[in-house]
Amino acid sequence: MENTAIINTLDPELLAPIISRRDAIAKGASASSKVVAALALGSVPIALGALAKDVYGQTPADVLDVLQFALTLEYLEAEFYTRGVAATGLIPGAAVAVFTQIRDHENTHVNTLRTVIGGKGATPVAKPAFDFTAKGALQGFNFGATQYATFQALAQAFEDTGVRAYKGQAGRLIGDKVVLTAALTIHSVEARHASQVRRMRGQKGWITGNSNGGLPAFTQPIYNGEENRTQAGLDITALGAGNGGNDGVTEAFDEPLTKDQVLAIVTPFLA
Amino acid sequence: MMKEVKEPLVISRATQLWEQSTRRDFLRMMGIGGTIVLLPSVLASCDDDDDDPTGPGSGSTVTIDFSKGDTAVLQFAYALEQLEADFYTRVASNFGASGLSSAEQTIFADIKNHEVIHREALKTILGTTNGFTLSTVYTNVNFSSRTSILQTAKTFEDLGVAAYNGAAQYLNNVNNLLVAGKIVSVEARHASAISDLIAPNTTAFSPTPFDDAFGPAKVAAAAQAFIVEQLVLAGAPATFVQGPNNNG
Repeated sequence: MENTAIINTLDPELLAPIISRRDAIAKGASASSKVVAALALGSVPIALGALAKDVYGQTPADVLDVLQFALTLEYLEAEFYTRGVAATGLIPGAAVAVFTQIRDHENTHVNTLRTVIGGKGATPVAKPAFDFTAKGALQGFNFGATQYATFQALAQAFEDTGVRAYKGQAGRLIGDKVVLTAALTIHSVEARHASQVRRMRGQKGWITGNSNGGLPAFTQPIYNGEENRTQAGLDITALGAGNGGNDGVTEAFDEPLTKDQVLAIVTPFLA
Repeated sequence: MMKEVKEPLVISRATQLWEQSTRRDFLRMMGIGGTIVLLPSVLASCDDDDDDPTGPGSGSTVTIDFSKGDTAVLQFAYALEQLEADFYTRVASNFGASGLSSAEQTIFADIKNHEVIHREALKTILGTTNGFTLSTVYTNVNFSSRTSILQTAKTFEDLGVAAYNGAAQYLNNVNNLLVAGKIVSVEARHASAISDLIAPNTTAFSPTPFDDAFGPAKVAAAAQAFIVEQLVLAGAPATFVQGPNNNG
C-alpha cells in the first residue's frame, strides 16, 4: 500500500481543480503578470507555461496529468543524480562532467515542469521520498565509493524508462502544441542521456531487442516490448535484410510504455 | 560520315542548343532518325543560374504540400531519412579510407542500418503515390576525413532531432505522432553518440536541457545544401509553436 500516496497524486481527479473559463478571465491580471515576470527572468518555458493558460483559459485534465506524471519521473532522476554527483568517490573523474550535466538537465526539467504546472493554475505534486535500493533489490546501495557500477546501471534504467514514458504520453498532448513541443524537446534529451550512459557502460547507445544490457533482472519490464517489429501496422521484419536483421529493425525504433507500466517500474523506488 | 552520326547527340547544356555546330548536328540527326539526348541538366540550367549541373537545388522541384496534413509531415521526414541513409551508406562503403576506428565503424554501421530502415519504413508507409526520390550532393564533405564524416553526421542527427521535434505539432493522428516519436529518440541516441565521439566525456552529448525544435522552413533550408532537387514547401502552416529554446 506504500504506492497509494504517489498514485493518488497522479490521479487527475485529485489534481488542482481545472480552472473554468470564467475563473481564467477573472485571474487574467495575475496570469498576465506571470507572463511578464517570466519574460523578465528570461525564461521561455516559464513564459510558455503562463501563456498557455492565458490562451486556452482552461487546461484539459489530460495535459495536467501528463505534466504531473512527468514531474514525478524528473524528481526521481534529479534526486538520483544530485546525490550521485555529491557522493564522495563514487563517480570517476572522467565521468564527472557527463553526470553533472545530466544532473543539471534533470533539475532544470523539474523546475520547468513545476513552473508550467503552476502557470496552468495547478499545484505541482510534491517530491516523493525515494528508495534507491528498489526495496532491497539493490541491497546496500547508498551511493558508496565502490558502487559506481550500480549507479551506472540505475542511470541507464532511469534514462531508458524516461524515454519510453514521455513517448507513451505524447499522444495525450496532441491538442496542446506548446506542451507537446516542450515535452518532445525533453524526450529527445532523455534519449541523448540514455545513449551516453549506456555507452559508458560498454553498451550500444540504442536498445537491441528486449535486451536489458546486463542490468539486474528486476529491470526487465523497462525493456519488454522493445523487440516489436510492427510499425504503423506494418510488419517491417523484412527491412532488416542487409540492415542488421532483427537487431537493426528493433534498434531503429524506440517503443513507448503506458503510464501504468511506468508506475509499476518506478514504484519500487518510492520509499 | 555515316559512322559519326550514328552516335547519339548529347546535349547537356542549354547554351549548346544555340551553338552553330549543335544546330547543324541536330538537323542532321533529325534527318536520319538519330537519337538526341537532352540531359536533365539542360532544363535545370534554364531556370537556375547555378553553373554546377548537380549542385544543391539545381534539379527538378520536389514539393511537400503541408495542406496534406499528416502525409506532408511524413514526406518531410522521408526526405530527411533519405539524406541520412544515403550519407551513412556512403560512409560505410568507404570505411577503409574513412579514418574511423573499428569501434567507430561499428557505430556507423549500426546507424546506417537504422537510417536505411527508417527510410524504407517511411517509403512503405507513404506508398508510391506520396513517395519521391531525392538525389544527394556533398559539396563540403570529405568521405576520407574522419573529422568531416563526424561533423556531417552530427549535422544530420541534430537536424533530424530538431526537425521531428518541430514538425510533430502538425500531426493530427496520434498513431503518426507515435511513429515520429519512436524515430526521433533513436536519432537523439545517434546524435549523442556522434557528439561524444567528437568530444568524449564532455557535455557535448547533450549540450542543452531542451533539444531544439525547428520549423519545416528552417529544416528545409539546412537540408537543401545536401539535395540536388529543389525542395519546396507549399501550404506551410501559418503558425509555428516554438520549443523552449525559441530558435525554430
